Amino acid sequence: MSGLLARRIALVVPLLAVILLFTFLLVRLSGSDPVGLLAGPTATTEEIALVRASLALDQPIWVQFGVYFGKVLQGDLGQSWLSNRPVLAEILDRAPATIELMFWGVLIGAGLGIPAGLRAAFRPDGSFDQVTRFLSLLGFSVPTYWLGLIMLFVFFYLLGWAPPGMGRIDLFLTPPDRITGSYLIDGLLAADWEAAGSAFSQLVLPVLCVAIISAAPIIKQTRAIALEVLASDYIRYARAQGLPHGQIRAMALRNSATPVVTFIGTEITGLVGTTSLIEYVFAWGGLGQYGLSAIIAGDFAVVQGYVLVLALFSVLVFLAVDVFVMLTEPRAGAAP
Amino acid sequence: MTLLSVEDLHTHFISRDLDNQIRVARALNGVSFTLEAGRILGLVGETGAGKSLTATSLMGLLRPPARVVGGRALFEGQDLLAMPEAQVNALRGRDISLVVQSPKSSLDPLTRIGDQLIRIHRAHRKVSEAAARDRAVEMLASLGIPDPARRMAAWPYELSGGMAQRVLIALALMNAPRLLIADEPTTGLDVTVQAQILDLLRDLVRRTGIGAMIITHDLGVVAHYCDEMAVMYAGAIVESGPVREVFGQPSHPYTANLIGATPERLRLGGPRTVGGPPPNLFRLPEGCAYRDRCPQAGPDCAQTPPDVALGAGHIARCHRVAA
Amino acid sequence: MSTTVAPTPRWALRIAGITRRSPTLAIGATILLVFALVAILAPWIAPFDPIQAQPRNVLAPPGGAHPFGTDGNGMDVLSRVIAGAGWAFGIAIPAVLVGLLAGVPLGLYTGYRGGWPDEIMMRGFDALRVFPSIILALAVVAAAGPSLLNVVLVIGFLDSPVFARVVRAEVIALRGSTFVESAVAAGNPTWRILFVHILPNAIQGAMAQTAVRAAWAVRISATLAFLGVGIQPPTPEWGAMIRQGAEYLVTGQWWVGVFPGIALILMVLGLNMLGDGMQDMLDPRRKAATR
Repeated sequence: MSGLLARRIALVVPLLAVILLFTFLLVRLSGSDPVGLLAGPTATTEEIALVRASLALDQPIWVQFGVYFGKVLQGDLGQSWLSNRPVLAEILDRAPATIELMFWGVLIGAGLGIPAGLRAAFRPDGSFDQVTRFLSLLGFSVPTYWLGLIMLFVFFYLLGWAPPGMGRIDLFLTPPDRITGSYLIDGLLAADWEAAGSAFSQLVLPVLCVAIISAAPIIKQTRAIALEVLASDYIRYARAQGLPHGQIRAMALRNSATPVVTFIGTEITGLVGTTSLIEYVFAWGGLGQYGLSAIIAGDFAVVQGYVLVLALFSVLVFLAVDVFVMLTEPRAGAAP
Repeated sequence: MTLLSVEDLHTHFISRDLDNQIRVARALNGVSFTLEAGRILGLVGETGAGKSLTATSLMGLLRPPARVVGGRALFEGQDLLAMPEAQVNALRGRDISLVVQSPKSSLDPLTRIGDQLIRIHRAHRKVSEAAARDRAVEMLASLGIPDPARRMAAWPYELSGGMAQRVLIALALMNAPRLLIADEPTTGLDVTVQAQILDLLRDLVRRTGIGAMIITHDLGVVAHYCDEMAVMYAGAIVESGPVREVFGQPSHPYTANLIGATPERLRLGGPRTVGGPPPNLFRLPEGCAYRDRCPQAGPDCAQTPPDVALGAGHIARCHRVAA
Repeated sequence: MSTTVAPTPRWALRIAGITRRSPTLAIGATILLVFALVAILAPWIAPFDPIQAQPRNVLAPPGGAHPFGTDGNGMDVLSRVIAGAGWAFGIAIPAVLVGLLAGVPLGLYTGYRGGWPDEIMMRGFDALRVFPSIILALAVVAAAGPSLLNVVLVIGFLDSPVFARVVRAEVIALRGSTFVESAVAAGNPTWRILFVHILPNAIQGAMAQTAVRAAWAVRISATLAFLGVGIQPPTPEWGAMIRQGAEYLVTGQWWVGVFPGIALILMVLGLNMLGDGMQDMLDPRRKAATR
């Protein structure tokens, strides 16, 4: 099995090269020249030439790609054109906030979506199925950012139940010391109940938004997977064997589990985008807001690093899903 | 008491087409036959004649849009079609077992075969896990599976087609059923494996005295392994009787055509036989469904043909035989 | 033939039949029809010019002459929502066409040819899949410059892998069939086999995807505008209008952002329902064919 995993990882290497080529070309496509920004308005011609050489911009394009490739391998994602700060450090600093938001959002979304999809599949075209299908379609159709805005309008402005969408903790509170990077968990660990409580109340609305948006595809796909399993030869044969309904249902559940988890894994990629938009609306200060702001401001060194990190994250999730499949499917572990 | 007696079974597929018109496919139009314990009945006919549908109808395994619209299926005197679902479900896999034609995809892919055997046994009988395990090993051994104790731990995907079919038969026999229905049990298997599986089934019936129904489109299988046969066409049985009688004196033109068309290996070649396309179940002709293809058809064939007894349990449903 | 009783016309039966088979499709088609009518009739049904500012009537709440109120520039929100339907179609339709034009020939060729072009295309698509589509669209549009043309082209090209994959799968299934082999044997040039013989049989799956892809195009273009990367205010585009409305939501002038959001949801919902229904209608037939 470890051999299989090694082969799977070996497949990732060319993929990474393609990803890097893509992020490299992205900046070339922008046509922006960062030299002016980096060297400053008062730079002399010599200084500009120096900056240009330091970025290898005076070299042919394939050399530039080589330089970029080498830098990324050394963990150097370059510097922001606007703030001059190293991109990787900024990303690492903000990643926990994003992961926290996504983790709870996807957990709740899957916790709602999987049972709903299964229940719909057990009685296709029943009233529960009709309602969940419509809700899932609605979830597909609601613009993420609009949902966030409406949530804020209703729960902050109208009802006053939620804090304003301004970050991860009350502005007048000091964040707890960084242990995990999640204010909620760090607050609990430091027994700083006030900070933990504030972090929690700030989390509720954005997490709810991510959960709603992520539940829609999970419901749809879980239903489709379970319907396919229920129509399979082995479930039909289980009925012909007179197995009790509970056992047949359990069999259907176990056989649906792997495809559902695989689907959620592939769906994570899209949910990263969703989370970014939610972050933007709630001024979450995570990776997503950082990246989107850079896109809007045209800071392509940051955009490049941001897109690269998101892609790497997806690759990691896909690998994790592969490992999960290997551990749960009898066939996958043995096949060459 | 007769083991299985199917009387005038009608099954329809009821749906609506894109123009919102109700369409009824009359898939079974009065299927009647009987099967005694200790006998093997071969149900033959071309694809779409309703052979498998007969089995799924009487076992209560139909799914919409298919529906039984009339008839009875008496198993030891009890009507399976009138029973509550829970009662039929208790009979399935215990007293009536089914072996299907796609053994590999019919096994639960995430359960070792030993556990599947134990599961079906314990679903129907109050026995301990250990006792069920012993019986499962015994059953695999009796079906000629080498090293049965180790095979218990095998996953379905590790089995060959023939081996999977044996496991399916083992599953079917775990609870010592009184009726075994084998739906194309050897389709897709090597010829030698086919013979092994069918020999196994025949020995089993001879040894235990259960009744078996083999659904096949292979007349060779019927000739070699069955005691009785029933020929299906367009959802009805057109001729039935002891195998020797029917082969000796095929009386319905369709049966005669079938047997005559396959002199070499007594085998139906694929989905169609000579003499035209299969009947359109949405628009079956009045009277005899075979009259469009029948070389001997006459004006009287527009009337419903009678079942004509030809002696020794041999029956044909045809005007020509009556004449 | 003389008939005394006029039978229900066939098209009415067909609509009733489709509605019965897939109510989702019927509802989606109806919603879209309404939007299409609104887009076409916009100049006549909109009470005001969508980009006419009335500086003395800023942020008027819904009611009276302005059923949806006015925005921060004093423009009539209802008229702007109506005008937005045209922008949504104006982006979605060309974007899907670009996707089809780029994706279908690619899928046809790689599916038929196989070998290394196919391998490269599939690996490239695999690589694309690790980028979140929204972020990718945003980054590329921002890099290429936020013009309307770029928005359409980027959405279209990001759509093309979907079409290419579907067509490729169908072509691979058709490649070995008798009618293709006889067309080859008859000496037809490859382009003719691809476009005349294979395409009509392989296009169905791609067509079933068009509505869902159009829904995606409407969503993405609105998202771009919301972030200020795509179409800019005061153009009456729904995403851009939500962007304007965002700042007023927390001060209570909800109508500026809520109405364009509802229009956007309804249109995307209509397209998604249509797409869902189209896939439903195709699916059972496919299953029946393989059984």
